[in-house]
Amino acid sequence: MSGRDYLGEFEHLIVLAVLRLGDDAYGVTVRREIESRTRRDVSIGAVYATLDRLEDKGLIKSQLGDPTPERGGRSKRFFEVTAKGVAALSRTRRALESMTEGLAAIRSYS
Amino acid sequence: MSAQDDFVQPPRLATWLLLLLASREPESIEGDLFEEFSGVVSRSGVAVARRWYWRQALHSIVHLFGSAFQTAPYSTLAAVVTGFLLGRLLFPLSEKAIFAVLERYGVFDHHFKVYVFFATNGVAISHVMTSMFVGCWTAFIAKKYGMIATIILVFVLFGMTGAACFVWIARGNTSMLFAPLPWTLLDWLAMLLGAAIIRNRRFASRAASSLR
Repeated sequence: MSGRDYLGEFEHLIVLAVLRLGDDAYGVTVRREIESRTRRDVSIGAVYATLDRLEDKGLIKSQLGDPTPERGGRSKRFFEVTAKGVAALSRTRRALESMTEGLAAIRSYS
Repeated sequence: MSAQDDFVQPPRLATWLLLLLASREPESIEGDLFEEFSGVVSRSGVAVARRWYWRQALHSIVHLFGSAFQTAPYSTLAAVVTGFLLGRLLFPLSEKAIFAVLERYGVFDHHFKVYVFFATNGVAISHVMTSMFVGCWTAFIAKKYGMIATIILVFVLFGMTGAACFVWIARGNTSMLFAPLPWTLLDWLAMLLGAAIIRNRRFASRAASSLR
């Protein structure tokens, strides 16, 4: 298995955010979801750069919605995790669990 | 949101810079920022919203540059290197072509003013046109990171020009140093314009194919 089969740290957060948001996953909601849950300052460019990379890898897919007035007549781009993305997420999670299993230092933080 | 808020627009320069570098669907990233900007205007006022917007835009630009090297490092680097080499190849060729035509038609002997124009401004104009072609080429090779690759190329040329000026001044040669600089600036602008043309064509063809 190559290193490319695992998600990077920010990719991991993005895929989880898209999964949590379901049908309402677009740039703004993904950014807010990560900010509110991780208390980490995230720029929209970082979100889009990662979403584009994940889409290139086939881990997520996107489609344009209808233009809305509150966005100045611009469309939302909605994201959805693909089956390949879910598999990559599971693989990454298993790898992390395997690496942290039995570590006393990790237990003390949880 | 008040009626006044409806008319508040985010900083145009920040939007323009961000859209220039967006690699895909610039409309959605612009819409997302507009939506959030309107929310910040309602909650905290225009001044805070503008600062927030600039911060978002600048952070985003840094990430978009980083993304080009993370996602497609070889094609981005190849585009910058081949763009640089293409410029090194084409600039002397364009000069040779102009002087060959001037010589072929005996312009120096019969129309000296015309000769002077082409030997000075004509060469500079040919450099601007060549630069635009180099920008197009770089953007074409770098694909969706074309704009970023071209900006990096311009930064490289800017650095080299700056270093050359420094050496020139350090040697005590200040005469004729600043005369070609406006043309050099135009060369760089032409490169960016060429890249922007390729980028816009790419977005237009992608939008057309998604409508089909």
